[in-house]
Amino acid sequence: MSANIGDVSAQPRPRLLRRDADTGLVAGVCSGLGRRLGIDPIILRVGFGAATLVGGTGLVLYALAWALVPEEGGRRTTVARLAGRRETWLVVGGSGMLLLSAMLLLREWGLWFSDAIAWPVLLAGAGAALIWRQSAAAAPAAAPPVPQRVRPDRPPDPFRARRLPTPALGPAAIGAALVIAAGLVFLWLNDALAPARDVLLAVVVVVVALTLILAPWWLRLVRGLSAERAERIRSQERSEVAAHLHDSVLQTLALVQRRAGDPREVANLARRQERELRAWLNGGRPEPGDSLAGSLEAAAAEVEETHGVPIDVVAVGDAPVDERGAALVAAAREALVNAAKFAGGGTGGSISLYAEVGEERTEVFVRDRGPGFDLAAVSEDRRGVRESIVGRMRRHGGRAVVHSTPGQGTEVELVIER
Amino acid sequence: MRRPLDRVSLVAGLAISGLGVLLLLDRTGVIELQFGYGLPALLACVGAILLAVGLEGPRR
Repeated sequence: MSANIGDVSAQPRPRLLRRDADTGLVAGVCSGLGRRLGIDPIILRVGFGAATLVGGTGLVLYALAWALVPEEGGRRTTVARLAGRRETWLVVGGSGMLLLSAMLLLREWGLWFSDAIAWPVLLAGAGAALIWRQSAAAAPAAAPPVPQRVRPDRPPDPFRARRLPTPALGPAAIGAALVIAAGLVFLWLNDALAPARDVLLAVVVVVVALTLILAPWWLRLVRGLSAERAERIRSQERSEVAAHLHDSVLQTLALVQRRAGDPREVANLARRQERELRAWLNGGRPEPGDSLAGSLEAAAAEVEETHGVPIDVVAVGDAPVDERGAALVAAAREALVNAAKFAGGGTGGSISLYAEVGEERTEVFVRDRGPGFDLAAVSEDRRGVRESIVGRMRRHGGRAVVHSTPGQGTEVELVIER
Repeated sequence: MRRPLDRVSLVAGLAISGLGVLLLLDRTGVIELQFGYGLPALLACVGAILLAVGLEGPRR
């Protein structure tokens, strides 16, 4: 039984017709065809060459085979690969020019049907191709939704959804114009437009007269609609601001009244509200995970909330968070935690974090005015500064320097090349 | 080290050379290039270059 199966699997499968561009001279049509038919490709090349010399048939057949026969190695046909690419327009333009050139030559040689048929057909064909291509590209399956960043702090644009997709309309409009032009050219070349000329003239005169009469009303209507739209946008902005104030500031004020007896909690609430308002007024930073400055601010906010110590954050520049950036944020957070633990509250005053994100390097300074310490005196088993800050930065190609003088505060300098 | 074949440059060079030869022959009086032949030749030249660029795809 197993022998039978082995026999069946050993049988050669019938070869499909594929272009062999690796061994072919031009596009691998003759090479692939020769392999499929089991004959020498040179014979086929001579055949194609002879057919090209006799009326150009060989060239047309070769071009068709090149366009429609897929390439060896599972690649799709040239036509299928070109569809939907940006370079398709270059190919279409080039092919169109070659076609036009061939048509002009045929016309010059007298191998021509008639101007009244050929040019309208060419125009209509180009227009129809554009419209068909556009309708295929506009299908829902062919247009995956583009992920968009949602900005909860900004009101949605009520007119965004109603705007027409102008880039998609362009080719379809050109296609429709070409088809209409083809019809008009056909009618004009066949002298069929003469009876319609009088009617057209009358229509034009009536349209011009109506335009002159109705223009003032139309202009007033357009201005009224614009003013109404602006007023609606202003009203929505006002509603948005009112809703935000209600949800954040008024709620915080209510909490402050309720917890007036706990100064630390009140200070925390005020700081949190201040941060939120600043972020809202500045248009909001990117998500902490996407932004180095945002991540540092989020880490500072978290430490501030956990330890109840105010932290001033100043971040200059921004960049996406990569592996090194994540290590920098983690080290800065550890430095902030240390500062909050040992220097926060009491006479320690506030903690400051200054970050400068440049093109080549990122520098972060965490300063406090606490009691300071002697780094050499820290025992080896304390891993906070040695491993979480200095060691982490070193592992990721950066450096961390702790400047501390007992009684004069501490500054942790974190530098990482980008 | 041998440079890879640049098909766009090859096609563009051949097309423009062909056009130049036509114009030269016309200038020397070997042929009389009329508008009915000159325009198709120019269109074919530009079309061939566009087609070559489009088929080559984006340059890296």
